[in-house]
Amino acid sequence: MTTTQAPTRRRRATWVPYLPYLIPGVIAFVVIIGYPLAMNVYYSLFRWKGGLAPMRFYGLGNYADLLADEAFWTSFRNSISMIIAMVIIPTLIGLVLAAVLFDYLGRRFGPRVASVLRATYYLPQILPVAVAGVVWNWILNAQDGAINVLLTGLGVADPPDWLGNPDLAMPSVMLVLIWVQVGYPVVIFMAALQRVDPELYEAAELDGAGWWDRLKAITLPQIRPETFVVALTCTVAALKVFAPVYVLTRGGPEGTTLVPSYYSFLNFFDKSKVGYGAAVATVLTIVIIVVAGVILGLQARSERREREGR
Amino acid sequence: MSTATDSTVTGPTAVRRPAASSPNRVDARLHRGAGRWVVLALAGLFGLAMLSPFLLMLVNAFKSAADYSQNGPLSLPTEFYTQGLVNFWNRTDFPMKLLNSVLISGAVALLGTLLSLVTAYAIGIGRIKGRVWILAVFLVANMLPQEAIIYPLFTMANAVGLSNSQWSVIIIFTVIQSAFGIYLLSSVLTTFPVELLEAAALDGAGRFRILWSVVYPILRPTLGVLMVFFFIWTWNEFFIPLVMLTSNATQTVPIALASLQGDRLMDAPTINAGALVSLLPALVFFLIFQRTLTRGVTAGAVK
Amino acid sequence: MKRSSRLGLVAAAASLALALTACSGGAAAPTAGSGGSAADEPKTLTIWDYESDESAMGQAWAKAVEIFKAKHPDVTVKQEAQTFEQIQKNAKIVLTGDSVPDVMEYNKGNATAGQLAAQGLITPLTDAAKQYGWDTKLAGSLSTTAKYDDKGLMGSGEWYGVPNYGEFVGVYYNKDLFAKYNLQVPTTLAEFTAVMDAFKAKGVTPLATAGAEYPLGQLWYELVLANADRSFVDGYQLFKSDVDFHGTQLTAGTTALQDWISKGYIDKNVAALKAEDMGVSFIKGKYPMMVSGSWWFGRLATDMKADWGMFTFPGNKLHPGSSGNLWVIPTKAKAPTLAKEFIDITLSPEVQNVLAEKGGLPVAGDASVITDAKVKDLTTNFQSILDQDGLAFYPDWPVPGYYDVIVAQLQGLANGNKDVNATLDGLGKAYAEGKDDLLNG
Repeated sequence: MTTTQAPTRRRRATWVPYLPYLIPGVIAFVVIIGYPLAMNVYYSLFRWKGGLAPMRFYGLGNYADLLADEAFWTSFRNSISMIIAMVIIPTLIGLVLAAVLFDYLGRRFGPRVASVLRATYYLPQILPVAVAGVVWNWILNAQDGAINVLLTGLGVADPPDWLGNPDLAMPSVMLVLIWVQVGYPVVIFMAALQRVDPELYEAAELDGAGWWDRLKAITLPQIRPETFVVALTCTVAALKVFAPVYVLTRGGPEGTTLVPSYYSFLNFFDKSKVGYGAAVATVLTIVIIVVAGVILGLQARSERREREGR
Repeated sequence: MSTATDSTVTGPTAVRRPAASSPNRVDARLHRGAGRWVVLALAGLFGLAMLSPFLLMLVNAFKSAADYSQNGPLSLPTEFYTQGLVNFWNRTDFPMKLLNSVLISGAVALLGTLLSLVTAYAIGIGRIKGRVWILAVFLVANMLPQEAIIYPLFTMANAVGLSNSQWSVIIIFTVIQSAFGIYLLSSVLTTFPVELLEAAALDGAGRFRILWSVVYPILRPTLGVLMVFFFIWTWNEFFIPLVMLTSNATQTVPIALASLQGDRLMDAPTINAGALVSLLPALVFFLIFQRTLTRGVTAGAVK
Repeated sequence: MKRSSRLGLVAAAASLALALTACSGGAAAPTAGSGGSAADEPKTLTIWDYESDESAMGQAWAKAVEIFKAKHPDVTVKQEAQTFEQIQKNAKIVLTGDSVPDVMEYNKGNATAGQLAAQGLITPLTDAAKQYGWDTKLAGSLSTTAKYDDKGLMGSGEWYGVPNYGEFVGVYYNKDLFAKYNLQVPTTLAEFTAVMDAFKAKGVTPLATAGAEYPLGQLWYELVLANADRSFVDGYQLFKSDVDFHGTQLTAGTTALQDWISKGYIDKNVAALKAEDMGVSFIKGKYPMMVSGSWWFGRLATDMKADWGMFTFPGNKLHPGSSGNLWVIPTKAKAPTLAKEFIDITLSPEVQNVLAEKGGLPVAGDASVITDAKVKDLTTNFQSILDQDGLAFYPDWPVPGYYDVIVAQLQGLANGNKDVNATLDGLGKAYAEGKDDLLNG
């Protein structure tokens, strides 16, 4: 049908006419993101109290201070826990749930059931974090919280202090984060599963493939783009997480649940050390960009391999 | 695993043959067996576990403050108390806040999805040179911590006369949310079946026609997801609207809820009632768009 | 979505745009000169506050607005109810913009109003204070929080804010529980510990507090103040002298707190409790006493079933407390003269007496108008502290961000992970760094 030379000649020129479609996006981003980002890096070179206070040039001094700051390192260590709680666990759970809901339950009980269950899993995402904090405090409170009331009722003498014990606070926050995050991968993966051509499943069934084999051989590769998207966005969200920590523990107890975004916020607003806060935010942004770049690179490589496979 | 070549080679015939025989076989196999009930029960239990904090909210939303203080959050209310919610409703002019939130979130959902689609079209299908880098740059929008950009954004908004205007919030969030949209859509479009595009091009369709008549219909579930996400994420945004919107006429629901939390005291039952009320529009939006999500449009059907 | 419904969406978007331009806010009034009389100013007064309408302040200010409207029938008064967080954290950003109010409620202290003053975001009110006589109405430690110097330190310099009310920290107690165990209100620290021992002997934890927010820090400060005098407070709060964090007052206070925790006067799981938890558990009757501030008064009056009262911390001459929040006038305000008149009205007898009646602790009210016995007690307690010049402000005030430091260090003490010396080291280090930042930028 087509000769081997025509595609390469076409491809070199084909993308150029698509450039105009990029224009609105580029303008919007330069104005809303590019300029503030540049300003943020600029602020990080100064000592500044914010508002109309004078700005005093400090070069890379803020960054030097950062490296020596114990709280800063703690916050980044905690980010790893955040990644576990917001990326790894919810993605795995989300994948399984989406497959079960769409593939298994949806076909045996009808799409209505799947939709209702999906809505219940997604509901925590809709709740404002501040309110979620109040409610989870009612559950995790050491004295009157639902969990400890249950435990004392069951005869446990000294139920754990979920949010006050420095060793337990982080896992408790992680639990709340999992609760909040799970719905997001479920919704994305369920939409992704709809993109999959059902003929593929039928063909595989005719070949005698079971549910698990179909999942591995058809579903997972087909929804690979969405898997990367979920992994990347959840990782970015985990690195940026702020509100749940703020409402549950305020970075405590004894600073054990401090995360970079909250630390930056404290510096910007509570301590009025805008330059320092900007430096923390810049480092956080760089870390996020690097991590995202790695994931994007993996995704591009997998896309290239798939296209070559065709 | 190549998919496209299989379908084009076996084409229509493959669709017809299984379709004739599958309903009975699939039906019979799927709608029997006790295993499915076990799975349903497990999924349902998990759903209940996810919902339990909301039940706690419900129990406390209609309690009087005195009842809450005396009996704590775990007890059932002694009477069905709505005065706290009524007071909150009137004091914060809640309908105004609801309207603002709906307008802002709706506008962001619409504009953000549009911006994402157009930009992702260039990246995913147009395969612009250097697109991984372009994508990464766009993604930075979503990676920036908000407190890092708030000062410059506020100054800019003031400079162009958008101080205390919902439009400043809409523009900012359209850009921030689009970062996610562009990423999701371009990831999906990169694996878009090339033959569909080629077929349409052969029929003489220009890029714009292809976007709306070939790409858009297939992408509808994903676009639906974007609309839902953008609406809900913007609905619950607190920090940027807090700084940008300074008068009661323009403020949104999360700001109104925050007014229940003072310097040292808070009104827990009313916060819960207010939160439940504010959940409703977002939930309604989600449920409406669920219908778009479940309308499975597949590559096969389009052919 | 069909083509027609997509067009419908586009139409909806267009009407959205129209609706938004119609209801967007935005300053429309012309700018007025800063020294002009009320006649050149626009006919709108915009007020921002964040007190709830049912509170004493809310009701008093509603009366002030009434009186103002009667005096200036041609002026529109726009009272915007804001959230505490918004004003507290974002004032520094928002006040640089154009949509600023004419008069605003703001927190007092170096870290808050002091910062705004140092950055020129609020106008000096010294002339107005002399003209309207505010400086005579607000004497002693009440005016400390109204004045800030060019570095933003309170106590001296120009007037920048005007308080309407005061607040202080004392001990709320459950009269029914006291009667049940036959205990009297303590008047010395020794009696206080004896009362707590008596409760402990009956298996009741005596003191409700909260380690995740301000209460534990305020309790700690009470114990520090038990050994302190005015010069210590001047050093700690106003930087008039250096503070030795291992000196007598702080060591004795911190050791006492640790002692109280180990004796079980305070629940050992206090680290994660929030102020709300403390209040609710006191109201429920789980703890017979609660060391916290006058701001709880209104809520206890409505929610508490048992009979209750309040006494000042036994044996202390100094108590945590200060003037209430300040009225400030942003530099970019468009109607500053009207704003000053409004402030003067809030200090007038009619408004101050509303505060007095509702337990708002007015700065210039007449205690004889009070009819409610509990309010009278509260006000008398406050007055006695004022007479002794006993207001010592709050422990987290000296440096910005100290609130989180105190919370974290005391959590360590409460959890047993830090001893007294380590806690004081932590507190001292952050204090020194913050002071350096504040003074040397």
